Amino acid sequence: MPPTTDVVLAVVFLPFVAAAVTPLVFRLLGERTAYYAAAVALACFALVSKLYFAGAHGSVAVEWIPSLGVSLAFYVDGLALLVAFLASGVGVLILTYSGGYMHGEPGQAKYYASLLAFMGSMLGVALAADLVALFVFWELTSLSSFLLIGHYTGEEASKYAARKSMLITVSGGLFMLVGFLVLVWASGQALPETTYRIPVLIEHADAVRTALGDAGLLVPVLLLLALGAGTKSAQVPFHIWLPNAMEAPTPVSAFLHSATMVKAGVYLVGRFRPLFLPPEAPILGEWTTLFAVLGLLTMTVAAVLAVSATDIKELLAYSTASHLGLIVAGFGFANAYGAEAGAFHILNHASFKAALFLVAGIVAHEAGTRDIAKLGGLRKHLPVTAVVAVVASLSMAGVPPFNGFYSKELLFEATYYAAEEMGGVGWLFPVVAVFGSVFTFLYSIKFASLFFGDEPDGLGHVHRPPVTMLVPPAVLGVLVLAISGQPNAFIEGLVGGVYGSVVPGDAHSFSVHLPTELSPYFVMSLVTMALGAVLFPFYDRIHAGVRTLLSGPVRANWWYDNAVDGATALSKRVTPLVQNGLLRTYVIWALAAVCALALGGYAALGVSLPPLTELAVTTPILLVLLVAVVGAFAVGIAPSHVAGVLTLSIVGFMVAIFYILADAPDLALTQLVVETLVLVIFLLVLDRLPAFYGRPRAAVAVRDAALSLVVGVTVFVTVLVSTASNPNKALAQFLAERAGVPSEHGSLIVDYGGGGNVVNVILVDFRGFDTLGEISVVAMAAIAVLTLIRMRSRGETQ
Amino acid sequence: MTQFVLATVLGLLFALGTFLVLRRDVVRVVWGVTIVSQSANVYLVTMGGLEGLAPVGHGHGGGGTAVSDPLVQALVLTAIVIGFGTSALALVLTYRVYQEHGTIDVYELGGDQ
Repeated sequence: MPPTTDVVLAVVFLPFVAAAVTPLVFRLLGERTAYYAAAVALACFALVSKLYFAGAHGSVAVEWIPSLGVSLAFYVDGLALLVAFLASGVGVLILTYSGGYMHGEPGQAKYYASLLAFMGSMLGVALAADLVALFVFWELTSLSSFLLIGHYTGEEASKYAARKSMLITVSGGLFMLVGFLVLVWASGQALPETTYRIPVLIEHADAVRTALGDAGLLVPVLLLLALGAGTKSAQVPFHIWLPNAMEAPTPVSAFLHSATMVKAGVYLVGRFRPLFLPPEAPILGEWTTLFAVLGLLTMTVAAVLAVSATDIKELLAYSTASHLGLIVAGFGFANAYGAEAGAFHILNHASFKAALFLVAGIVAHEAGTRDIAKLGGLRKHLPVTAVVAVVASLSMAGVPPFNGFYSKELLFEATYYAAEEMGGVGWLFPVVAVFGSVFTFLYSIKFASLFFGDEPDGLGHVHRPPVTMLVPPAVLGVLVLAISGQPNAFIEGLVGGVYGSVVPGDAHSFSVHLPTELSPYFVMSLVTMALGAVLFPFYDRIHAGVRTLLSGPVRANWWYDNAVDGATALSKRVTPLVQNGLLRTYVIWALAAVCALALGGYAALGVSLPPLTELAVTTPILLVLLVAVVGAFAVGIAPSHVAGVLTLSIVGFMVAIFYILADAPDLALTQLVVETLVLVIFLLVLDRLPAFYGRPRAAVAVRDAALSLVVGVTVFVTVLVSTASNPNKALAQFLAERAGVPSEHGSLIVDYGGGGNVVNVILVDFRGFDTLGEISVVAMAAIAVLTLIRMRSRGETQ
Repeated sequence: MTQFVLATVLGLLFALGTFLVLRRDVVRVVWGVTIVSQSANVYLVTMGGLEGLAPVGHGHGGGGTAVSDPLVQALVLTAIVIGFGTSALALVLTYRVYQEHGTIDVYELGGDQ
């Protein structure tokens, strides 16, 4: 059945509304805001469950930009529901955990508001059916992630990390946007009507793909989407932002950087898989070449880097990148096992990795350090935590019978069958997969080993964690055990639907079993574990070896830092040239540019100057204007401020008289009042200012005079050209006629505007709001003047 | 109707205003801005045509349809008032700048020379 619009909208927008009122709630509840936020997440979880149990499948849409065919459309299917379950379900646990973890931390209102906004964005990403809506929610997750990573605003490392993640994920998102636009274009070629709807694109996958292929855009689109997904999901070489993002408070790391936000990238890959991977796809088509290679590369490189980590959160961060690589690789393979591996591992990874991050948070919080070398024997102090850590670590290592084993086994199966079909170089797939998994095994066991053995010297007293911090990881640990015990129940209920979303056409569910015979892929698992067990005693040597290899251009960070530092240095060099702090520089560039553009425009259009036929002004106007020019000239050469102000006044009053002669009485009155006021203010201020007799150097004066001349000529030509044309006077005529001139037309202005003065009626009736704005400007200027003068005397800025 | 006189006058006023804006003395810069903005107002009024009666209908006797354009006048009236706000603020800023920095020399304020 199709989902109900109200429920879907509520799921996505409830967190945003809740985020908006969080500051108020924080004033009322203080630190208990955590439970308010958790309740919001629980409500979202309940709504998602409602969709799930109603068997919702299909689209709902609310019009957004109808003229462009963009709507706020949502699509509910297996993949969307799984990601929505993760975002809201893990959200409940994380927000509860935050209640204990964030005790006494600064900026809690901002923290909970950002987390809720993030959850809403993630639910939006999961449910969006429209490419534009997907992009907007996608970038909203980047924004809220930026706020959360940079939570400790005072710390350099936080700022660096926040900027890095923002630069990488947002720029990746922009590439993705370009990819989306190409897709929309292709839909216009392939379908009768251009569409932004993902389900429609997938429905007509063959036609869209053909259109893209004919235009030679298939590979570019794949690359653009891969850039978006790869930056978000921390695929090599964009994995570098994830370890830095661990500067965020640990609940954020557990939520955004394990269970949800980084899943957005793999979600995108899964979402577009049926569009680009038809059932008859070759074993090594463009899609597989790109995503299987990218995924396996990330899985291996990140696993090796995780072994080199010295900090438990850094280890988990690299491990996350590695497991995301596994999912991407799974989605990359053009066989059913790959899709199954990816679909199942999304759930498995979220369950064990969120648990491990929360464990890491407890360790950091209670032992006071995250340094792997300084930790050990924590089992005695943190017994419950230790059990959760061991269960989750074994699952992460891919040890049977834990759930991580099943999805890893499916990936091995996918690589094996791909290799069997391709032969030759295709055997690299299983070899690389096993190689990467050995490192996964190593660091997983290392993490679990922190709870065993002897306590190192220098490890201080380890506190017991509060219940609010202990329950969420325990719940996740139980979830890991539940999935491990009944994998097929979860596949039947949830993962099968995900599988259906990532393969084209109708798909039926699948099932997994513990191996009963020595299949080739079970041998791969056994080899992984055996090699891991053999190598584990040499962990420290491998750790040191990897670290020595990592220097200079081998590291993606080297490229990032050099690029950013280079850009910063370039900006620092260029800025003083453009922004030298001198008003005249800005004025010269702005005016010269305007004049060049205007004169260039006239020249390009071949505008000719109208001939001089008559003066077109009466003698009084001519005289008044001459006096004004003389006055302005006198201002230019005024020897003192007072002389200048008085001659400036002459110009102003001459303008007022000009208005009288030009039949604009209202302007004349206003001008007279304003001119008088300006004169008074000038004289008041001048009293406080020093005389200034700085004479310009001759060269400067000549240059200024030249620019002034150019400006003057531009204005001269512009006035001539514009007054020579005959603009349509229909509007003026309309107004004049209704003002009772002549009276036989009736007097709309008098009857409805309440006055015969057209200008006044325009100002207070037709453009009433505009005039209100004008009054506000004057009021603001008055307040600013008052502030500037009063604040100084009160010494508030000192 | 082509306005040669006004074109010349406005060209001169703009040129003089620009020259003042480029001076080192902040007060002269403010003068320059004032002159330029007033010239712009005059230009707008000129665009509405200089012939015709004031656009006041009621009790004006209905002496023909030729009135000057009320629309530009309404625009310029707003512009004059906003210009006044700008000038007043600019002047007080000048005063404040002198209090804070002890100079009204644009070069010194810009950290040059």
